[in-house]
Amino acid sequence: MADLQDDIPTTAEVGEDDGLPDDPFVRQQPDGELLERAHALLDTHPVADGYSGLPWALRHLPWYDLELGEAAIDTDVPRLREGHVGALFWSLHLPEEPGPDRAVTAALEQLDLVRTVVESHPEGLRLVRTAGQIIDARNCGRVAVVLGPAPGAALDDSLALLRILHALGLRVLTLAGTAWAGETGLTRFGEEVVREMNRLGVLADVSGASSDTVERTIALSKTPVLCSRSAARALRPHPANLGDGLLAALGEAKGLCMVPLTAEQTGPAVPDVADHLDHIRRVAGPECVGLSGTYDSGAVHPRDLADASRYPHLIAELLRRGWSETELSLLTWRNVQRVLRSADFTARAAQQRREASNARITELDVS
Amino acid sequence: MTAVAALDEAHALLREFPVVDGHNDLPWALRKQAGYDLDALDIARDQRERLHTDLPRLRAGGVGAQYWSVYVPCEEPEPVAATLEQIDCVRRLLERYPAELAPALTAADLETARRDGRIASLMGAEGGHSIANSLGALRGLYALGVRYMTLTHNDNVDWADSATDEPNVGGLSAFGREVVAEMNRLGMLVDLSHVAATTMRDALDASSAPVIFSHSSARAVCDHPRNIPDDVLERLPANGGVAMVTFVPKFVLQAAVDWTAAADENLRAHGLHHLDTSAEAMKVHRAFEERNPRPVATVSTVADHLDHMREVAGIDHLGIGGDYDGTAFTPDGLNDVSGYPNLLAELLDRGWSKADLAKLTWQNAVRVLGAAEDVARDLRSTRPASLATIEALDGTDGSS
Repeated sequence: MADLQDDIPTTAEVGEDDGLPDDPFVRQQPDGELLERAHALLDTHPVADGYSGLPWALRHLPWYDLELGEAAIDTDVPRLREGHVGALFWSLHLPEEPGPDRAVTAALEQLDLVRTVVESHPEGLRLVRTAGQIIDARNCGRVAVVLGPAPGAALDDSLALLRILHALGLRVLTLAGTAWAGETGLTRFGEEVVREMNRLGVLADVSGASSDTVERTIALSKTPVLCSRSAARALRPHPANLGDGLLAALGEAKGLCMVPLTAEQTGPAVPDVADHLDHIRRVAGPECVGLSGTYDSGAVHPRDLADASRYPHLIAELLRRGWSETELSLLTWRNVQRVLRSADFTARAAQQRREASNARITELDVS
Repeated sequence: MTAVAALDEAHALLREFPVVDGHNDLPWALRKQAGYDLDALDIARDQRERLHTDLPRLRAGGVGAQYWSVYVPCEEPEPVAATLEQIDCVRRLLERYPAELAPALTAADLETARRDGRIASLMGAEGGHSIANSLGALRGLYALGVRYMTLTHNDNVDWADSATDEPNVGGLSAFGREVVAEMNRLGMLVDLSHVAATTMRDALDASSAPVIFSHSSARAVCDHPRNIPDDVLERLPANGGVAMVTFVPKFVLQAAVDWTAAADENLRAHGLHHLDTSAEAMKVHRAFEERNPRPVATVSTVADHLDHMREVAGIDHLGIGGDYDGTAFTPDGLNDVSGYPNLLAELLDRGWSKADLAKLTWQNAVRVLGAAEDVARDLRSTRPASLATIEALDGTDGSS
């Protein structure tokens, strides 16, 4: 009865391992049940991804459609949905071109680009400012876009510009790379910047800052600070990764260490990322760990975490390691909600006490 | 009508239709005099020793809406950052005096503020140098609430010629026309004060929305490049725009124009730049002023401009832009922001009707902002944000 046989060729099922013998990194497929649980979990507690390089990546693309899908980049609406990303922090990147006003003009241009991109994808994306608006966006089936982090250089050493960027929607500012948050910690002006950020509700991002700056910012800030892209230095000695001392200090202050999914900072495979998350959960606590995809930033990603759709694979690995549903919900979603809410609460309280600061770097940081 | 009766009637009129003033440089004065320390220079108090503007005198003057200028000089090393600081200053004023000042972005906001008895506060940027040839920065200013941009200040920008600089692109360049088109798309008014007559004409050709002159008077009455030629005023009815008369003596009074030219010449004869404000220059200038008393403009001088502008452009195309705190000298009777009733009394005396004055003070300015919003609503549905660059449109050196 050979002629009755189906002539459809039989190959490995989609997603099934071909088992190429000479592949040194045999793909470790999470077992189906774990992956299913990961999807179910992320349905309830989606990912709030702390860092996307999309605004800069889109800057030179002549044409793109995030709604339908876009192969030139790591992020588009279909993949965000597949990865259960509910909120995404869009970072601003400043060019290193010289010239007066370049940083602040570039910041305005990037904020404008974000607004334009989000407005032209109304079915998929929604620009938000607060934790509550993230929830609203999610209830409407939109991926919430939060503005930040922006490099501190965008402030041009002016608190007025901090207020202006906040007025334009900025929620996170990276302190590193400025004259007032250097190797020796925050200067007097740097402290005033942090106080004004507290008053406005702009979160301080201390990734890449010196230990002194991290410690001083944690101590000074009235609301938890975050690290937008830091993993554990105990596992991988990258300069932006945090040592156990700082991780513990961050944990004590209920700050948030958002682990970047980059081979450089975490290692080349899913278990490496999971090792960092395990370590930070242990040292800082489950309330102090989060995720930063770092997609579209030019970084190389660990295998199996190549784009924004791959979060379920990471969550499946953590399930395998015994993370509880509560811990995972904190990791993916609730910790970010908490720090945003806390920043807003602190800002409302501070605005009762303090007027806008008129301090100038030239007055406070006399060398 | 007696003078007292005319003034009473002016006050009564302003209670119903207060002044929308097109240009006030208080934010710059707060930077220069107080480094933005709003406690040190508290405008809730009488500040007549230091400023033309404070809240009590705005009330006394019947001001119901003010475009606060977020001006920075052309020589400012970081004009974009400095403009943002000016915007921050206005935002701080709004936070500080919520019972007096109402944030306003639209014509509807102006009407709401009038109903509530607050002073509607809008912002205007004075010069294209504030956007550093970037349409993204232009949209940033709009997002922050800026509702007009004067295309140039005293110096040319790469894409537009100023009235007080050497001709360069001969009006608007291709990128300049794109800036105007993008302002139309946004609903930001195109302000043609300070620009060369060639730029005025090009902008009227390019703009699909009504334009304004936030603080300019009539060149036929007083021949100064900062004023508007008749052929441009004549185009306002078709365009729908509004020319807001300014009070600055050295623009409105021919004798003051001539006197200023002679004083500048005197400084140069002493080997000094005419804008020099050093102690030595001031000494030379004071000596000149002792020999040649400074001519004084009056309410009547400004009314002469309005009479002429009305004749050429029509009553529907006039407004007021005092330029307070942006000029050292002011006319007698219009010494500070409390003076507007004197101008209205003078116009009543000259036979202007109440309906005419309502258009001058309030209705025309509100209409023009609303019209810009309508045009923007149309354009936004058909055109995306412009990504054009000056390099692409005007050549790489940006000065073609």
